[in-house]
Amino acid sequence: MPSGNQRGTAAQKNGLGGGRPGEGAGITNLLFVIPALTLYAIFVLLPLASSLYYALTDWDGIGSPRWVGLANFSRAFSDDIHLASYVHVTLYIIGTLIFEVSFGLIMAVLLNSDRPGFALLRGLFFSPVVLSMSAAGVLWTFVFDYRTGLINGMLKGMGLSDWAQPWLSQPATALLCVMLVSGWKFAGFYMILFFAALRRIPRSLYEAATLEGAGPIRQFFSITLPLLKQNVLICGLLAVTGGFAGFDLFFTMTNGQPYNSTEVPVTWIVKMGFDSDQLGYGIALTVILTVVVSLVSLLYLRFAERSHAVEY
Amino acid sequence: MRSSIDTPRAPREWLQFGIGAAVVAGMCFPAIWMSYSALKTNREIFRKPYALPETWQWENLSKAWQDGGLGGLYLNSIIVTAAAVTLCAFAATLAAYAFARLEFPGRRALYRVFLIGLLLPPPAVAIALFTQLRDMGLLNTLWALIFANAAWTLSITLYLMTGYFRTVKREMEEAARLEGANTFQVFWSVVLPMVKPAVITTAILNTINIWNELMFALLFISDDASRTLPAGIVRFSGFHSTNYALVFAALTLTTVPIMTFYFVSQRHVIRGLTAARAE
Amino acid sequence: MVLRTGLLSGLIGAVAFASAALPSAALGEPVEIRITHSITGGSQKEVLDGIIADFEKANPEITVKQVVFDDDQYSDTGLITQLKSSTPPDIYFQWAGFPMQRDAKEGFAKDITAEMNEGGWKDTFLPSVWSPSMGTLYDGKAYLVPMTLDVTNVIWFNKKIFAEDGVKAPATWDEFMAVIKTLAEKGQTPIVVGNQELWPLGNWASHIASRVVEPAHYAAAFELKEPFNQPGFEKALTLIDDLRKAGAFNKDIAGLGADPAMSTFFQEAAAMHPIGSWLVPSANEMAEKDFDYGAFNTPLIDPANPTKDSVIGTATGFAVHAKSAHPKEAIAFLKFFTQLDNQVKWAEAGSFSPVKGAMEQAKLDDKTKQMADMLSSAGSLVPPPDTTYPVAVAESYYQAAAYVAGGEKSPKDALVWLDEHVKAMK
Repeated sequence: MPSGNQRGTAAQKNGLGGGRPGEGAGITNLLFVIPALTLYAIFVLLPLASSLYYALTDWDGIGSPRWVGLANFSRAFSDDIHLASYVHVTLYIIGTLIFEVSFGLIMAVLLNSDRPGFALLRGLFFSPVVLSMSAAGVLWTFVFDYRTGLINGMLKGMGLSDWAQPWLSQPATALLCVMLVSGWKFAGFYMILFFAALRRIPRSLYEAATLEGAGPIRQFFSITLPLLKQNVLICGLLAVTGGFAGFDLFFTMTNGQPYNSTEVPVTWIVKMGFDSDQLGYGIALTVILTVVVSLVSLLYLRFAERSHAVEY
Repeated sequence: MRSSIDTPRAPREWLQFGIGAAVVAGMCFPAIWMSYSALKTNREIFRKPYALPETWQWENLSKAWQDGGLGGLYLNSIIVTAAAVTLCAFAATLAAYAFARLEFPGRRALYRVFLIGLLLPPPAVAIALFTQLRDMGLLNTLWALIFANAAWTLSITLYLMTGYFRTVKREMEEAARLEGANTFQVFWSVVLPMVKPAVITTAILNTINIWNELMFALLFISDDASRTLPAGIVRFSGFHSTNYALVFAALTLTTVPIMTFYFVSQRHVIRGLTAARAE
Repeated sequence: MVLRTGLLSGLIGAVAFASAALPSAALGEPVEIRITHSITGGSQKEVLDGIIADFEKANPEITVKQVVFDDDQYSDTGLITQLKSSTPPDIYFQWAGFPMQRDAKEGFAKDITAEMNEGGWKDTFLPSVWSPSMGTLYDGKAYLVPMTLDVTNVIWFNKKIFAEDGVKAPATWDEFMAVIKTLAEKGQTPIVVGNQELWPLGNWASHIASRVVEPAHYAAAFELKEPFNQPGFEKALTLIDDLRKAGAFNKDIAGLGADPAMSTFFQEAAAMHPIGSWLVPSANEMAEKDFDYGAFNTPLIDPANPTKDSVIGTATGFAVHAKSAHPKEAIAFLKFFTQLDNQVKWAEAGSFSPVKGAMEQAKLDDKTKQMADMLSSAGSLVPPPDTTYPVAVAESYYQAAAYVAGGEKSPKDALVWLDEHVKAMK
């Protein structure tokens, strides 16, 4: 148990600055938090609580809910598509971590220069981030189209028509394609975050290393990467929680097909909740999703906390 | 990999630029292709996908604008995004200040409650929130999206702001207090200007996210008049799913302004993030 | 409700509800009635717009506002959101059968039996429209004003390709398989289906099943009183498996959307396309002027089956919302809409008017005429399962059919999977 003296440090670990006595009466200070709290309580906490209630009912969204206890949950654990959706989303998260975060990191380092032209390249690399998901989904659905799409068109033009596939209609390739589009779209976002962080690394460190004869690759691994650790970890967390919530791209490109091979938790929830009018079951699935995301994030944060980010 | 501007470029730098340019060109091709395909006829798109348009069908753009009701979609998106981002920035900055600097009962517990939001995927409550908004009579209004988006960007904004506060030195606040300023005055006149970069950065990030938000927009709004851009585009491309020229035209029209916004604000983001160093 | 947020939302809700429940203005003051549906374009929309304009001219104090969604959005969230909102539409489009029953039970649809009986309105419709299998009556009462009959699935074919490859529209399933083999050998894509949403193939697969499975068993399976894993259904799915093995389906069947598939058919990149009668208005709008196509019903499979020559179809119509503030005006519009002269226009736009005499009087293009003849000469009418039985069960069957068509599961395995999957829905 932290003692009074250590409370400051513990609070700092939580990201709080540590208040000092005499900085104002406790209660009036609460006023600062009221706006955020009200907004949060009504639109985040309240639906969360009612989710817990509805998850225990059988409800078609229109009539009155009928209490069924934990029946929805036991059904969820024998629902093969539901279980598979977690496998798919995990693959997707790993894929996105690889594509988006590493690609973004590499490009941030590659395009890290004050020379003219580099700013333009960075700007262009980021631009897909700004597209809406639906735009990206529609665009790439056409690119992957079997008969008239760009990719198969290019393959046929290069004499490789055997390689032309129904990309979004085969379980083997569909998920990969969605991952690719996600990577295309978001790598720029991570690049900018890393780039901003790179900027904060004092030049002197690099110059000193160059004087000692270290080449650029060596500098990357011994200077850049460790100092970016905190950013890497935060980016990773965003990718993980964002990945579990993945919906937009999946909905516009494949909507879970073919054969539910690109089904992710949220597309299945929407299908159960809205398409088949089984809101009680759909909400139970959202409760499970929340628990899973929370557990994964907490584990991740615990792991991140142990490897402290370096202060500089 | 850093070099000063004054020295002549090393071959390594040219290589850096070359590789970077090639990658970026590949990245941007689909979007560029979409923009000039918007000005073709459908038949051209199918028969000669890569060629530039034979005749530039500028009228595709105006047709897409009208058929898609893009003016209305834009207006709604602007209203929702501006209101939600402002609301969130306001609430989060106040709260971040309190968590970072002030004492009050339940401070740590309350902070943890907000952090829960970081772990929650918005779809987690989509259905329940839908029902709740319906009971509150807010369904099908822009308020539903404004409040929902503001509330759901709170956690990340609060987290980033509080983190930023941590790096800000206290001397000026302490000096102000010694001169007799009360808490709010300290916040308003001393602290707020200092955290402006973080406010701006989070505002920009939130703007992009809320502007592109699809799930709530699809579920909570069914009235054409109140629809936002992403949901409108999904519906539009559903109606006209095979009229690729028209769909691409609509997509191009919805992309150009946000691209411009991004290029203009990009410098701000960098400045905001690097300003922390400049003391 | 237990979890209302309290005074504030209660107030908001009360104000909203009160303004919605305000009785319609005194006679002579402008009234707006809202009608929601999913007719997004084509000739049907034009005619609807025209009828609305005529109605507004004849009744200057009434304006009719349309709230339109595309098909899937309408079924998923569009309709429900409006039905439950505090300002529901006055008139809404709905399918006969299970959906209408649910609306009646939950109090969304107004009981219009009295209005139907008044002045013989009910008798202006074809008698077959009110037969039990159509699902237009619930508990003997009327909740729906029938507006069109849809043939849910026929097999459309490209006449030019058929002529070039020397094949003719088949009358039996064996002839059908022969046609497919010939087309495949000549390098055509015999059948294009866009099955991303499962219902395009699912509807056809249900029709095939209804031709092979005894009606009593068919109903029992969908009502979850019997397992799907029985010889009849296995035969049905085996037929689909045979199609797959003969190379009948397009390679991207699983990921292609319904509309892009139709477009593929219009671009003559495939010989056949199994879809409903709504292809006709779409063809008028999207296909080339010289696109030469025809249709044939699913061929004869089992001569011993009572529904051997059935047509799969359903009735759709307009319901009046029980909480509508302007029921009189809504009924007035619907009566106007179902007048013979308007229904003739409606028929000429490619719909199947359920009103007596409309189809005969209308100048129909030969495709629509063919559909109309098919409907009237059909020995039986089978509704698609997703309008007769709980949607979740129907969609599971569609999923099973999709597995077989894509070679993901064998017919037997698909049925085993299906029974497992629907266990939880009992």
